[in-house]
Amino acid sequence: MNKTTNIDPALFSKRKRANKIGLTLSMSAMVLGMIFLLWILGVLFYKGFSSLDLTIFTHSTPAPGSEGGGLANAIVGSLMLVGCCTLLSTPVGVLAGLYLSEYGDRSRIASVTRFVTDIMLSAPSIVIGLFVYALVVAQVRHFSGWAGTIALALIAVPVVVRTTENMLRLVPGSLREAAYALGTPKWKVAFMITLRAAQSGVMTGILLALARISGETAPLLFTALNNQFFSTNMNAPMANLPVVIFQFAMSPYENWVDLAWGGALLITIAVLGLNILARVVFREKVQG
Amino acid sequence: MMANMKTMFDLNQIDSQGGSVNVASNDQPVVAKNALEVRDLNFFYGSFQGLKNINLDIEEGKVTAFIGPSGCGKSTLLRTLNRMYDLYPGQRAEGEINFYGQNILEPGQDLNLLRSRIGMVFQKPTPFPMSIYENIAFGVRLYEKLSRSEMDERVEWALNKAALWNEAKDKLNQSGLSLSGGQQQRLCIARGVAVKPSVILLDEPTSALDPISTGKIEELINELKHEYTIAIVTHNMQQAARVSDYTAYMYLGSLIEYGKTDEIFIKPKRKETEDYITGRFG
Amino acid sequence: MPDKHLSSQFDADLNSLSSRLLEMGGLVESQISTAMRAFTQMDLETCNVVIQNEKLVNDLEVQIDSACTELIARRQPTARDLRLVMAVSKAITNLERAGDEAERVAKRTKRLIEAGAPHNINVAEIRLSGQMAISLLRRSLDAFARLDTIAAAAVVEEDRQIDEEFRAFVRKLISYMMEDPHTITTGLDMLTIAKAIERIGDHAKNIAEFVIYIAKGSDVRHIPHEDLVREANK
Repeated sequence: MNKTTNIDPALFSKRKRANKIGLTLSMSAMVLGMIFLLWILGVLFYKGFSSLDLTIFTHSTPAPGSEGGGLANAIVGSLMLVGCCTLLSTPVGVLAGLYLSEYGDRSRIASVTRFVTDIMLSAPSIVIGLFVYALVVAQVRHFSGWAGTIALALIAVPVVVRTTENMLRLVPGSLREAAYALGTPKWKVAFMITLRAAQSGVMTGILLALARISGETAPLLFTALNNQFFSTNMNAPMANLPVVIFQFAMSPYENWVDLAWGGALLITIAVLGLNILARVVFREKVQG
Repeated sequence: MMANMKTMFDLNQIDSQGGSVNVASNDQPVVAKNALEVRDLNFFYGSFQGLKNINLDIEEGKVTAFIGPSGCGKSTLLRTLNRMYDLYPGQRAEGEINFYGQNILEPGQDLNLLRSRIGMVFQKPTPFPMSIYENIAFGVRLYEKLSRSEMDERVEWALNKAALWNEAKDKLNQSGLSLSGGQQQRLCIARGVAVKPSVILLDEPTSALDPISTGKIEELINELKHEYTIAIVTHNMQQAARVSDYTAYMYLGSLIEYGKTDEIFIKPKRKETEDYITGRFG
Repeated sequence: MPDKHLSSQFDADLNSLSSRLLEMGGLVESQISTAMRAFTQMDLETCNVVIQNEKLVNDLEVQIDSACTELIARRQPTARDLRLVMAVSKAITNLERAGDEAERVAKRTKRLIEAGAPHNINVAEIRLSGQMAISLLRRSLDAFARLDTIAAAAVVEEDRQIDEEFRAFVRKLISYMMEDPHTITTGLDMLTIAKAIERIGDHAKNIAEFVIYIAKGSDVRHIPHEDLVREANK
């Protein structure tokens, strides 16, 4: 039964027009965003690729005025800082998220925690850096990798808490009820059932937090500072990519500027890689 | 015969009441024993009363069905039997529910232990995010310590009981979510049976399934009732007629009529019951 | 309290079943009346009418039985509805057999006519029980239409009278036949006719018993009469 005769042609063409306008606007916004993204990536690759060779991984940062050099100490330093931060912030963040989702639905503590987490999510990273400076660095009177870890953790933990809580909330109540119906105690339901059901989402949150802190510069300026030489001593200033880039980018030495671009490219690739990994992990587990 | 019937206190084979449960001697007739006795039960969702003065017995080794229109309280009643409502603040029950003589509404009950004795299967199949083997082993491990081979046996036994062994035995390590809907529900039943409860509560277990899966599960209920007491909530009257020994008709939170299924469906005592089951419900 | 099903089609089907039963009952009633008239008036034409119409009765039985089966398959009736369908299915068998008895009366009457024998046997009893049987059948169908268990119990009670009449007539026939052996052939035909009428009364009684089954849920076949009356009055 074709009721095409009932369609009002004026209304139809008006709707078609509105559809076209909407589509055009959103496509333009996307294109605009893509242009800038591709531009940034393009410049990065262009400028940074030339300095990407094996020496970047084998040599440490060069002294002012000397030739050549690499970013080995900064790379290792960043890896260590980020690694330690992950080890610290993951359990804290996941457990806090677990508490908020499973235990703290109505309590005062829970609402306060959420509020604080939200604020810290948007806290300026330089403020955090200054805070850790006052709390740790000024007390022991030297910069350290530990201070840097703490500062990064203060940025990462709220992210992990938020995503963990949200992912856990997505787990349907019926799954929890099924576990309770077997006589499972509450903590086991939370850890072995609910958390497990949300594990890919929680991991995604952790990866995203990692991606965020990989590029944080301001907090490290006041805590880990930098180290010209190769060092794995967390109790002393540590070299790291963001600060090195900061230092090298506006210097007059050409090799420093090249290295800065190389470092920037490395960080970008790492962050991109983590984001893509997060997506892949999430999608795989969801289809599981 | 009814050797699997356990009270709340015996997790192993010892009956704390001092003797086997419901053993018929040769010269005495078997007296029907009640697994659950509900006395003057009132239930509240905040200020709304969901159950009004419910009195009924659930006989051991039989299937009792609860029927009634939406909102009549049948699911509410089922969920008081294993104190599921305790998970949600604002819901409370008054009255008595005697589980083999023990009032489970008394404060100070070990709810987890209770729920391992009175199991529940829900409308939506909810396999845990683990392998099929782990799904079943999970519940068993909560209260029993079994060796690897004993656990293997228990898993096989439970899957057999749920008529799922043949379909699942080659993929025990695959995720429970890889099964079809009907299989998942049977997995949930196997999971519930594996911990050897006394009572199994079924809350519309086949609502989400196709007719063949439904038929398989009804057949399962028929076999399980020899060893377990079963209470089932269903909105499908024909299902109640097919699987149950006793039927309770509820309406707006009250128990209207309760009796043997044959009587309810051929010669009900109350006009309200007859109106409902014949479809004269305006 | 609503008396209509949620499904109006179901209502219609059940009502149709009942009314078709009553229709068949009316047909059988008229068959019996016609047969009795044929016997009283010894009229050949009338006999043939009954014999021809017997086919209609049989067709109705088959149709209504099929409707019962369809209803069960489609609707899975329960309680009162189930009892109604089961009772209708059985009652039409009784009606069909009552129709057979009417045909038997007609056929035997025809034989009597062809043998040329007017009755030299007083057949007032046959006429009387014939009227009683027709009345009983009508009243049992009435009771069915209204699901009136008191009226149904009365039908069951009065069927006994027909049985009494029959036994009296048999005694009378025997003495006639012993007196005059020439009357044996005619007498046997009379006996068959009387027996047919007695059976019609029994069929009416069965239908009345089903009325109590539908309305009260008790199967009152083969139980003592006091118990039946008690069930009917509940």
